Amino acid sequence: MIEHFKTLLRGELGAGSLEKSGWRWFAIYCLAIVVGSSVYGAAIGLWRAPLQSVFTAIKFPLLIFLTCIGNGAVNGMLAQLFGSGLSFRQTALAVLMSFAVAAVILGALSPVTLFVLYNAPPLGSANAIVGHSMMLLTHVFAIAFAGIMANLRLLDLLRRMTGCDTAARAVLFSWLGGNLFLGAQLAWTLRPFIGSPGLTVQFLRDDPLRGNFYEAVWRAFRHLFL
Amino acid sequence: MPNAENPISLLENLLKHPGRVVHELQQKQASVLAGWLLLFGIVGIAIYGTVVGAQSGGAQMWIAPVKLGLGTLLAVLICLPSLYIFTCLGGIDAQLRSVCGALFAAVCLSSILLIGFAPVAWIFSQSTDSIAFMGALHLLFWLIGIRFGLRLIDATGRFLGARSKGHLRIWSVIFILVCLQMTTTLRPIIAPSKTFLPTEKKFFLAHWLDSINGK
Repeated sequence: MIEHFKTLLRGELGAGSLEKSGWRWFAIYCLAIVVGSSVYGAAIGLWRAPLQSVFTAIKFPLLIFLTCIGNGAVNGMLAQLFGSGLSFRQTALAVLMSFAVAAVILGALSPVTLFVLYNAPPLGSANAIVGHSMMLLTHVFAIAFAGIMANLRLLDLLRRMTGCDTAARAVLFSWLGGNLFLGAQLAWTLRPFIGSPGLTVQFLRDDPLRGNFYEAVWRAFRHLFL
Repeated sequence: MPNAENPISLLENLLKHPGRVVHELQQKQASVLAGWLLLFGIVGIAIYGTVVGAQSGGAQMWIAPVKLGLGTLLAVLICLPSLYIFTCLGGIDAQLRSVCGALFAAVCLSSILLIGFAPVAWIFSQSTDSIAFMGALHLLFWLIGIRFGLRLIDATGRFLGARSKGHLRIWSVIFILVCLQMTTTLRPIIAPSKTFLPTEKKFFLAHWLDSINGK
């Protein structure tokens, strides 16, 4: 299993890697996502409170799985519409594989983010805002790097599967667009992940399904510019 | 060739023929060699710590070596998981023991260079009472040492067939930032203090600005 992940991280998986039968590889990728993203999620939430770290450790992998499940059908359809030749099963495995790459990278970076957290001025101190900003920047860079690497590996795999760069890019960007669109809203529904100092630590905010990430962004835009 | 039964030859080869050390770290006795490299690295930087502590004297003569040795070990442990993953991302098929060996060799090489700079650092430490000046000088020597150490990691990557240098470069930046922060986390190292560890948390840039402004 470790050799497989090393091959995956190196971007050397062959076109036959999505042909595997049975549920073993689904389970392995899900396990990697749970372990890597839970560890990193705990590091995210620890700044607010230990209880928030437990909540975020549960919610981070949940966000990934809900995004995969929510977009499973449309990702499979888009893959076929763009001429990749991938089946629904192969699509699901490819998407899980890329999330597993991101989760492994985030898990490896969690000691670094925990070290940054250890050095951040605590909540309630005079420099708490500096600490909060540093934590946010660290998490943005780590998650962005993990996401970019995961998508580069997925693009390599799609090129090998399809044999056509255009089709591979079309499939990747369509999956990316859909996952980002749904993922942003699911992240809004499952908030808080970091936790606001002014609000109590909760697993979910009251009435979590109410409210919309894009409406919140629009309201913020209107307050700033209109 | 460096071998596990003669650790001193390891230090000689690290300076004169680092490629031999890189090669031996892929062989069967890599774990033993890696252990020696880590030990020499930590001890070497602790020896340099006595020169750092000599600025203030007294208890700093043992506190500075302990903090530098402990800080180096902690930085290595914090950054090792990401180094392993980043080597994979760079297309390198390496065992964990080889990756550990490369990192420990880098730390050992930088500590050897620091020992070389120790007389220069001591002369300057006797010439000034300025903690900020000496801090900057020690950091400069450390940066020169770690530059050669990270070059060794780069060479190991090339030896093992890295497809791109970018990933190890990014990891090098992370390692340097962790080490720089570690000096602030474990402060004070040069100046004396009533407590072993600081009571206030700061990022290293804020600490440097405060030191320059005399706070």
